[in-house]
Amino acid sequence: MTSDSGDHAGLRLRGVGKELGGRSIVADLDLTVARGELVCLLGPSGCGKTTTLRMIAGFLVPDTGVVEIDGVDVTGVRPERRPTAMVFQNYALWPHMSVFDNVAFGLKVRKVAKAEIAERVEEMLELVNLSHHIRSRPGRISGGEQQRVALARALVQRPAVLLLDEPLSNLDAKLRVRVREDIREIQQRLGITTVVVTHDQDEALSMADRIAVMNDGRIEQVSSPTELYRWPATRFVGSFVGVLNTWSGTLEPDVAVLGDGTRVPLDTPAASAAGSDTEIGVRPEDVVLGRNGAAADVARVVPRGHFAEVVLTLGESTVRAYVSGEAPPAPGERVCVRFRRAIAHADGRLVR
Amino acid sequence: MAVRWVRSALGAVAVLALATFVLGPLLWLAAHAFATSWTFPNLLPDGWTLHWWEEVFADAQLFSSVRLSLAFALTTIVVSSVLCLPAAYAFGRFDFPGRRTLLIGLFATNAFPKTGLFVSLAALFYAFDLMTTFTGVVIVHVLGTVVFMTWIPAAAFAAVPRSLEEAARDAGAGPARVFRSVTLPMALPGILVAVIMSFLASFDEAQGTYLVGAPVFYTMPTEMYSLVLNYPRQVAAVFSILLSIPSVALLLLVRRHIMGGQLAEGFQIR
Amino acid sequence: MAAPPLLLVTVFVAFPIVVAVAYSLGHVGGLNATIASIAREQHTVDAWWQQTFAAYGDVFADERFLRDLGTTVLVTLVTTVAVVLLAWVIALYLRMSDSIPAKVLSALAVVPMFIPVVIASWAILTFYAGDGFVRTIVQAFGGDAPTLGYTVVCITIGMVWTQLPFATLMIVSGVQGVPQPLIEAAADAGASFGRIVRSVIAPMALVPTVIAATFTAIGTLGAFTVPYFTGPNAPTMLGVEMAGYFTSFNLPQQAIVMAVVVFVIAAGFGALYVWANFRQAQDAGRV
Repeated sequence: MTSDSGDHAGLRLRGVGKELGGRSIVADLDLTVARGELVCLLGPSGCGKTTTLRMIAGFLVPDTGVVEIDGVDVTGVRPERRPTAMVFQNYALWPHMSVFDNVAFGLKVRKVAKAEIAERVEEMLELVNLSHHIRSRPGRISGGEQQRVALARALVQRPAVLLLDEPLSNLDAKLRVRVREDIREIQQRLGITTVVVTHDQDEALSMADRIAVMNDGRIEQVSSPTELYRWPATRFVGSFVGVLNTWSGTLEPDVAVLGDGTRVPLDTPAASAAGSDTEIGVRPEDVVLGRNGAAADVARVVPRGHFAEVVLTLGESTVRAYVSGEAPPAPGERVCVRFRRAIAHADGRLVR
Repeated sequence: MAVRWVRSALGAVAVLALATFVLGPLLWLAAHAFATSWTFPNLLPDGWTLHWWEEVFADAQLFSSVRLSLAFALTTIVVSSVLCLPAAYAFGRFDFPGRRTLLIGLFATNAFPKTGLFVSLAALFYAFDLMTTFTGVVIVHVLGTVVFMTWIPAAAFAAVPRSLEEAARDAGAGPARVFRSVTLPMALPGILVAVIMSFLASFDEAQGTYLVGAPVFYTMPTEMYSLVLNYPRQVAAVFSILLSIPSVALLLLVRRHIMGGQLAEGFQIR
Repeated sequence: MAAPPLLLVTVFVAFPIVVAVAYSLGHVGGLNATIASIAREQHTVDAWWQQTFAAYGDVFADERFLRDLGTTVLVTLVTTVAVVLLAWVIALYLRMSDSIPAKVLSALAVVPMFIPVVIASWAILTFYAGDGFVRTIVQAFGGDAPTLGYTVVCITIGMVWTQLPFATLMIVSGVQGVPQPLIEAAADAGASFGRIVRSVIAPMALVPTVIAATFTAIGTLGAFTVPYFTGPNAPTMLGVEMAGYFTSFNLPQQAIVMAVVVFVIAAGFGALYVWANFRQAQDAGRV
């Protein structure tokens, strides 16, 4: 699944495959990341996203395929020579060096002049808001601050490609939101081609220019967040990104016919989809409770803050609906259900 | 490709070199145990025989020293365990003032050369009437095991995760039961390493035993000193093989734990 | 709970050490009476608050002692450096490649621990003796190797042999303890293997290295069995010399002086060990 543009993409993977311990972890992977773009590799554990990232960084050599950075084949190049810089999941800061020394290390290795090192490091720490910790040891600063040091250390090397391995997984929920915005803002300001690995779809949806959803060693879809959410290419993508109510059944332009025969009216016309292996998908926010539609009983109502999750029994199946939090129905009530919008996957692929 | 070959070759050379350095002397000595005689500069003995083994096995004195060494070693580890393991538990689990200093103090006493120490110790023993007694020798042996029996089990006890013990309390077990079912089993590898290091330390102990024990108690190492001087080399070789057997057997038993880091962990003060 | 071993050590080690030091300073009463009665060339004081350094004077003026002191310190330094270097090579090899040769090397390095010191010394002597393996092999190739048996070189070889296991275990443990991401992060930042060892692995494995070095040094300083079996009559190490002074020459006071000298040097190394542990605790935020 490629979307290519121009001769020198920031990063290009072609036909990349890797086997580890006798098992195929990544198979025939194609991905193009434009210069300055932020792409998220999103997927469950074991899908191969971290393996792919490590192949981009050079810690693993692909069995098949090519890795190109700015048009240059770097497949056989060792990590210390690649123009990539990685922010490791647990930050990997050197405990015996100060924050300044941690960030300066890559420059020292390259024998950059002392004055220039000081200037660049200070500039970078200023960028991530850590100037006040310039002489501190990693052991004495907080997790969020450590992560920023790791980011500064990667950025100061002026890499062609920036790689982040689950950057937010060790931070608490509130901090996560702030940090992902910071990362995004810095990335856009500096215009660095970036690949982020994550298993958190919220993270991916909010940070990425495009998301590559991976499953079992393959990319199932690469699209912008909205595109991904509205038009998931496969069943897997549909249920991995966001919540999706699914049934086997058929779609007619105005009606969704569920497996047990229940007919639910559709607000937005859909492409017809019929066939033995057709699956209908409806997002919870597209399940509308109103005055007309198919009959359903309210089983449970779960308050979720500004909205409420209503679990309904529709025919023989269970449906989740998100309704505004102000006046949700009560359990046991009988309501009428319509679908604002439905999609269908036939033989696993999206019907458009 | 070429780099790979060079690497493999270097690796093989390194292994050969170290093997010769480490194993060479042992194999050379072992070969003597089966040699009729060995003329220089032959690479192999003149002939092979088991005659020397018969000689050693027939010599009652040699054997009594081995028996005595074993007796002392076993007594030593029992006494040392009883004395030191509770202390090891305290050092590992409680944080009292001076804890580190005391631990280091125990170690520091080992730094005084044994010869010098034993001279004064002899004087003390005369005063307490412990010279040429079994107890006296045991005391000398136990002294050599104190560091092993406190440091290593202390680290092992400290390494048992509190949450596992709390889970046992939560499931209804009292403190004694928790110790028996959770703490002790988990600390056991470290304790085992300590016990075996102590056994071997006692087995190896020569100077102090000679000073205190002679002429009543002759252990294996003291016997070895005279053996080397008074008997043919082949007899010494046979004896050496015999005496290495307990060491090798015991250490093979705990090899996994030693390589797994119990020894290394034990000697870092936390 | 912690009392029994402390009590044991205090009574049977610390106290005798104090008594011994007192003896070296001239106090011949009480527990020192027995040895004092057979000693020659003793220096005594009458009152308990007095001391004499005459015995120290004797010893330090003695050519024999000075030569042995030099030998002891030399052997200790050479052994410590050799052992630590060897252990580091094995540790790095094991860390970087985890191949069979690496594992075999680390297993070999631990083998000496299995062998009683008495036997090891004897085996090493025979190996390097006039009719030993080394000379035999070289002879087979038409050369003539020197006899290393009963030399200071042989003592050093013996000490390296016996001290290798503990140092290897400590240092391998230290090097293995460096988290892999820290090494990868350094490679990612452009560092070569040598640079990674210098800037990341070595500093992080410093404490185990210091521990290994101090244990080796202290163990070598006071060694008796290895130099006794493998070394020459003179020069030899202080451990052997002081035993001789006591048993053969009937100069126990001088023997104790030597013991004190060795102890002071050992204490110096021990101080390093304490510092290393203190730094480790500090870095980990425990202090």
